[in-house]
Amino acid sequence: MSNVFPKWTNRLPLLVLVGGLLLGGGAVTGVSYYFTPKYTRVGYQPVQPVSFSHKVHAGELGLDCRYCHDKVEESWFSNLPTASTCMNCHDSVLKDDPRLEPIRVSYFGEDTNRDGKLDKEEDKNGNGENDRQPVPWVQIHKTPDYVYFDHSVHVTRGISCVKCHGRVDEMDEVRHAKSLSMAFCLDCHRNAHDNIRPLGKVTDLDWHGGNDFVGATDGKKLMEKLDVKARESCTACHR
Amino acid sequence: MKSPVKNGVKDSGVTDEVRGQKVPSAWGNEFPEGAADWNEDFSRRKFIKLMGASMGLAGMGLLGVGCRRPEEVIMAFGEQPEGYVHGVAQYFATARPTRTGAVPIVVKSHEGRPTKIEGNERFYEEIDGQKFAGTDGQTQASILDLYDPDRARSHSAADGKQLSSEEALELLEELVKGNNKVAILTGQGTSPSCARMAANLGEKGIPVYSYEPIDDDILRRGAEKAFGQNVKPRYHLDKAATILSLDCDFIGSEADSHIHLRDFARGRKLRNGSMSRLYVAEPRMTPTGGSADHRLRVKASGVQAIARTILNLLGSADGKLDKDTENADWLNACAADLRDGGVVLVGHGQPVEVHVLAHAINEKIGAVGKAVDFLPAEESTAGSIADLAKASFDVLVVAGGNPAYNAPAEIDWAKLIKGKKVVRLGYYRDESAQGADLFLAQTHYLEEWGDAKTSSGNTLSVQPLIRPLFDGISELQLLAKLAGESKSAHEIVQETTGKSGDDWLKYLHDGFDADEKETVAVGSVTQSAAGSAAKPAEGLEVVFARDYSVDDGRFANNGWLQELPDPITKITWDNAVLVSRRTAEDQRLANGDRVTITLEGRSVDGHVWIQPGQADGTLALALGYGRDKDKFGGRVAVFDGKPIGFNAYAIRPGVAGFATGATVKKAGSGYNFACTQDHWSMEGRAIVREANLDGEHGFRKNPGFAGEVGLDSPGHASHTINPETGKPYEIYNHPYKERPSLKNAKIQWGMSIDLNSCVGCSACVIACQSENNIPIVGRDQVERGREMHWLRIDRYYTGFNHKPTEGDTAGDDEQEQEGWIDDPQVVNQPMLCQHCESAPCESVCPVNATVHDDEGINAMVYNRCIGTRYCSNNCAWKVRRFNFFDYNKRPLNALYKGPLASNEKDDPTGWDLVKMAKNPEVTVRMRGVMEKCTYCVQRIEDAKIAHKRKASQNYKDAVARGNEDVAVSSAIPDGGVRTACQQACSADAIVFGNMADPGSAVSQAKQSPRDYSVLGFLNTLPHTTYLARVRNPNLDVPGMDQPYSAREYESAAHGDHGHDDDHSHGEGAHDDHGKGEHK
Repeated sequence: MSNVFPKWTNRLPLLVLVGGLLLGGGAVTGVSYYFTPKYTRVGYQPVQPVSFSHKVHAGELGLDCRYCHDKVEESWFSNLPTASTCMNCHDSVLKDDPRLEPIRVSYFGEDTNRDGKLDKEEDKNGNGENDRQPVPWVQIHKTPDYVYFDHSVHVTRGISCVKCHGRVDEMDEVRHAKSLSMAFCLDCHRNAHDNIRPLGKVTDLDWHGGNDFVGATDGKKLMEKLDVKARESCTACHR
Repeated sequence: MKSPVKNGVKDSGVTDEVRGQKVPSAWGNEFPEGAADWNEDFSRRKFIKLMGASMGLAGMGLLGVGCRRPEEVIMAFGEQPEGYVHGVAQYFATARPTRTGAVPIVVKSHEGRPTKIEGNERFYEEIDGQKFAGTDGQTQASILDLYDPDRARSHSAADGKQLSSEEALELLEELVKGNNKVAILTGQGTSPSCARMAANLGEKGIPVYSYEPIDDDILRRGAEKAFGQNVKPRYHLDKAATILSLDCDFIGSEADSHIHLRDFARGRKLRNGSMSRLYVAEPRMTPTGGSADHRLRVKASGVQAIARTILNLLGSADGKLDKDTENADWLNACAADLRDGGVVLVGHGQPVEVHVLAHAINEKIGAVGKAVDFLPAEESTAGSIADLAKASFDVLVVAGGNPAYNAPAEIDWAKLIKGKKVVRLGYYRDESAQGADLFLAQTHYLEEWGDAKTSSGNTLSVQPLIRPLFDGISELQLLAKLAGESKSAHEIVQETTGKSGDDWLKYLHDGFDADEKETVAVGSVTQSAAGSAAKPAEGLEVVFARDYSVDDGRFANNGWLQELPDPITKITWDNAVLVSRRTAEDQRLANGDRVTITLEGRSVDGHVWIQPGQADGTLALALGYGRDKDKFGGRVAVFDGKPIGFNAYAIRPGVAGFATGATVKKAGSGYNFACTQDHWSMEGRAIVREANLDGEHGFRKNPGFAGEVGLDSPGHASHTINPETGKPYEIYNHPYKERPSLKNAKIQWGMSIDLNSCVGCSACVIACQSENNIPIVGRDQVERGREMHWLRIDRYYTGFNHKPTEGDTAGDDEQEQEGWIDDPQVVNQPMLCQHCESAPCESVCPVNATVHDDEGINAMVYNRCIGTRYCSNNCAWKVRRFNFFDYNKRPLNALYKGPLASNEKDDPTGWDLVKMAKNPEVTVRMRGVMEKCTYCVQRIEDAKIAHKRKASQNYKDAVARGNEDVAVSSAIPDGGVRTACQQACSADAIVFGNMADPGSAVSQAKQSPRDYSVLGFLNTLPHTTYLARVRNPNLDVPGMDQPYSAREYESAAHGDHGHDDDHSHGEGAHDDHGKGEHK
């Protein structure tokens, strides 16, 4: 009888246990990574070249989103402000703050003595133009290449920034707040009346319709007036 | 694996039994040979090896960093450039210069890189209130050349040392300074600035010569000889009731084909129920001949006799040829029609004498001032290449062109440049760049400042869309440098126009100068055109043709054009020795035979293709192929180390369109052509429906003829009708009936294609390829039937006495044995996704990868597709294309061999270049997914978004005015979306729009009695429908009482099939299910 099972089988329970733990652990790790908002990048908050605070600018100072993201109503892409946009204020406010140095480097470009004029000796490549280097902001929100999301058609049609980006006006540094998965998109498209708001309130991230603007009635009415049809067909976003 | 197969049809002639019926065995072998196999170079073992390695890598990726999305940065500008919005495409007007004209275009630019070329609508006058501007296929494809990785990427000295443009120009100065005698050889062009620089050079004593292998200038010389004035003809084909083309392929291989086609189609549209009549006499089958109402195949040397006979007939009041004379009916009818007004055109391949005859005819029939007028021609001072061969010089500057490759055979280029210094300005490091002492990389026309003149004398601006990618130099810059001009090209061009300030900006913005040149009155034809009709030469004759794809060879490295099927032969990636069936028989040649053609002691080897409709005793050779792999480095033109096709320039005397006295000798056999359409007959099926304009069965008597043929016509086939409902059976699921909430009642996209205007020029195919990121697959894949074109053009031949039921064969045997192909009629049909409502493809997809959207589009979801290809198998129109390989990742000259073998590492700059040609608004598809026409959904969405934004703005404005209760509409107005194919079409044959709007152009077109669905009996309710074709022959010519296709249809329906019980109308002859539609 003792010859039926070879000696190594004594360790079998241990092996099963270890193997099981590894497999189980792998499964838990896999599920927690791929099946949760982590995979869709919720919470992603990279370090930016300049520690720009949306909380200060959009929240406390009350700048409109479109002061900096000024092409959001024209393009699928919501542009980032140029260095010159920053310098509209910061050539007098926090003029010499070291945290703003990358912005000034980008703004002045080849104009190294920063007198607003491009002298001959400054123009290194001799093309007569001030070649400015961009500030490399790290991208946070990104849809996959096969998704053709268009900012302009959302913000001009009563969908607020806050719906996809969260309360950016309360974030010091922006983080990925919503999942931006396809289910996220479709949830909104299927209940567009609950998500649409008066066109003047699109960039008011703190706005709540309350009883003055109820999705089931006012939202539906606004959709009719604006001829809004939130499509659910594949071709709306995929081409 | 290699079997003796020609053109994908195996060993035809032997018949098999399929479902109890005798059919040729070719039918049993439905797919081209090898379609189901791997490429033989790519063995299973190799595959497993590579797959193993990639799996290993993928595993490592999972454990490591590969699963995180890479960190990407957004580079914001230091200062906002004026007028630039990231993500919004910009459009700039410019022009593509051609030999004797230019194509006015508007180029779409994404983030500073040009991606798509369209015609410039502002340039053209409206037709029936419609603004449209077509382009030709080569213009569409020219954008790919900009991003060609094989283009010359640097200047270099004789020792191969790379030079910057400053260094190169310094070296140039060194070469031409001192007592060196300089000569300049250029191609032909119309740039006023270049002409100005050339004049300056002339003053400095530097002679300029010009050479073009395609002699478009002969039109001017013909007019000059006829009238004794330096003028060139301009045709208005829309103003002619009868058009006679004498070997003039004005739709395809002549200059300005896009304008000719625009005018021609305008005259064929059946507006007010009438259309023009086209007679064509030509040696080889062309798209123009295919569009003809009366076509006469005649040797190129016999065209002169035709012209003379017509002139003589017109000379006498009511002249008629004797019935027994050759082609008497044809010539009599043609002369009679021309008497009532019309116009005669002569092709560039015919000698000056024929041009003079044509002018004499035009004068006689009063065409001058109506369908043809004359413009003053530029005084040309440039010498010819023959003059250059006699001239003495020390330094030769070869700017543009490619004389070392395409100079006349009698000119020994190597001898001409022997002992001379050569400066070469070229787009490629090609034949003419060999041994050059200085090679200058040329700019693309989208990278340079310039100008050009259209054939009607308008000045067009050429402005750069992008900085020269490789520091290139333009022809204008080079000429200016040699002329000692220190100004920049920009300044020279502006100076030439004499414009400044807002005028200059308007000129750049519009892309053209509105001042049209005045026409000049011409005297009468001075040259005596009388004389007797000379007999055509005996013996074999060679016709040299400008190629529809590669032109004279300048597009040889353009993959889109190489893979574009020839509009007539449907051969890709090749040229062929085209011969008629009878000549092949006489010379004992078969399809795919290798022959040696000898002409005036020079010879070249090519492969035979038997071409229906070709004149007997004529060999037609397309120019521009057969590039030497040691002298031309293009990886497309010399695919896999083997040159594509053969070089017909090797035997071409001068720049003649044809030459007589050739001999052929068989030198081998068994060559495969990569032909995209093996089956050329409709076999009597009502796929393309035709009627004559007049006559008993004609369109005027019976406008609804298209609805009376085919299985879908009333009462024709009882078994397709459900007796309970009285309607056709519904075979496939109908998405809107199953889910009524899905249907958008306001928008249903649809398309209507007018077969009466379509001539098969194939510009739409390239436009579609450019717009939708369609890859090229290469010759070996086309042979396996794996080409990716979303839109193809089917070309069928129909024969006068072709009875499809009588033991038909297909492919080679039909080409080689059957008499009916000698004088066929040709029909074209653009075939693309029909966007069926009850789509057969949707029913069979196991993963819902192809589904219907709310607006009537049959959508393809690439991410869901797992590549079962069921959809393609179930598609009756065969319009779905499958990515067998990662065509967007593979090396240019080989198959995709897995991630380890990617060429991307070898040539990263080249790959970045290729990627730049892509349209960012369309997904680039990967291996293993199905794709097909989407009705350019990206354009639809773009237009929708624009109108939605506008609607919101209107709403805001109204609210601001105090009107709180306003409701706005975001509907796209009719014509607000145009598909790429529609926009490229010079004939305006394609109409696209909203079928749910009864007032839209597409709804109107579908109301036409000519409207029909292809394979309508399947009841899939296609959203793409066709307008049947109407021919307008002169019924005095015997045998023209019906189009050949209608005869075939009737003869097939009359066949022995035993199903004739259920006819409802008189002839009772239309039931065709013995033969065809439900295979």
